[in-house]
Amino acid sequence: MIWQLDLSVLTLIVICAFATIMVKDLLSAAIIFGAYSFLMCLLWTEMGAVDVAFTEASVGAGVSTVLFFAAVYQTTRRVGIRKSGRMLSKAIGLVAALLTGLLLIIAEADFPGFGDLFTPASLHVSPYYITQTLHDTNVPNMVTSVLADYRGFDTMFETAVIFTAGLAVIAILRRLKKEDRCDIPGPYVISEGYPDTIIRFVARQLVPFIQLFALYVVAHGHHSPGGGFQGGVILGASFILLAISFDFKVVLGIMNERWNILLGNIGVLIYAGIGFLCLLLGANFLDYSMLSKVLPATDKIMARSHGMLGIEIGVAIAVMAIVISIYLNIVSHGKYDKGL
Amino acid sequence: MTIVVIILTLAGLIFFFATTVGLLRFPDFYSRMHAAGKGDTLSSLLMLLPLALYNFHEFNIANLLVAMKILLIGVFIFMASPTATHAIIDAGYEAGIKPWTKKPEEES
Repeated sequence: MIWQLDLSVLTLIVICAFATIMVKDLLSAAIIFGAYSFLMCLLWTEMGAVDVAFTEASVGAGVSTVLFFAAVYQTTRRVGIRKSGRMLSKAIGLVAALLTGLLLIIAEADFPGFGDLFTPASLHVSPYYITQTLHDTNVPNMVTSVLADYRGFDTMFETAVIFTAGLAVIAILRRLKKEDRCDIPGPYVISEGYPDTIIRFVARQLVPFIQLFALYVVAHGHHSPGGGFQGGVILGASFILLAISFDFKVVLGIMNERWNILLGNIGVLIYAGIGFLCLLLGANFLDYSMLSKVLPATDKIMARSHGMLGIEIGVAIAVMAIVISIYLNIVSHGKYDKGL
Repeated sequence: MTIVVIILTLAGLIFFFATTVGLLRFPDFYSRMHAAGKGDTLSSLLMLLPLALYNFHEFNIANLLVAMKILLIGVFIFMASPTATHAIIDAGYEAGIKPWTKKPEEES
């Protein structure tokens, strides 16, 4: 912790946040928001929360910026024109925001200081994880073991939330019927141009490495920062890179709609299935230690590590499929015929 | 070793500074991107190389692994950064941004 660095990064974050709201051009706002996410990632790395920083870098600065771009591409760059003379609603909004901010500031006074040793969490909860994680689960990365084992329920429903978000995007945007397909041209006609050899070549060279790195992140999440969410997002991002640098059709050729939805389901199913397998073997739901009965050559401790790996793989598959499906739906206006 | 690290880091800082000045001061889109693309790539490598070297105050396999990872980041920056610059400049060219010239542009 270097407080000068923290303070300067925090100042930049606040400036970026204001700029995101103030800027009139939505594309610029998306770019500034990407910068904001990246600065958040820096701040979290500074504070020692490397896993969170990794998630922020891959989700916030990476994929969500691209999704904003896709949304801008399908709608418009301009902020909606605000009608003047709505002073009352503006005043109510200002008062509500000020009140909420005031309440938050008052509540903040009751919070313990950052890294305070004498809070209940630091006195009773954290020491257990810090001292017992390696002994209990044979996983050096405490964050992964807390996420995937001690708090396995939370992560399972987080995965379900992501899956539901993907389903919602498909349900709202996807247009299957002929009569739904109005052929209004999009607001931006991007010139087809020529196939750019340099971009395509480099993308083709990079994509396998990106995917390999994603698999490493998934499989090595026990020992280093990372895990299912980050790896899944990076896998999805590699497909988005293919879609941007080559063609929309290329990605559809590799990963068509049926496979996409199927993989999203399979991912959640792997997670819940491992939980049910534990039930069948006579333990509690998501208590991986019983998996040692079916896994060869593992004791109860190593089985927990393997169980975590299994659910991380499930999370990665689900997240990858959902990221790709959200991108494809937004960018093609739900028609899956052409896009960015 | 430490002297080499310091020299390389300082060189990286100087190049980063030049990149920033170029990004702010150059007259048009293409030259600004030129400054950003070239300067950023070189100075990133100049910063990553001493980081990799600095790991070696004691030589063992773990340090070697870290150094290799840092160098891999450098390799990817060398591939990705110029390509991204190229893509942005290409998009700008297709959008019809006129390059800056010394003579004032005639209205036509």
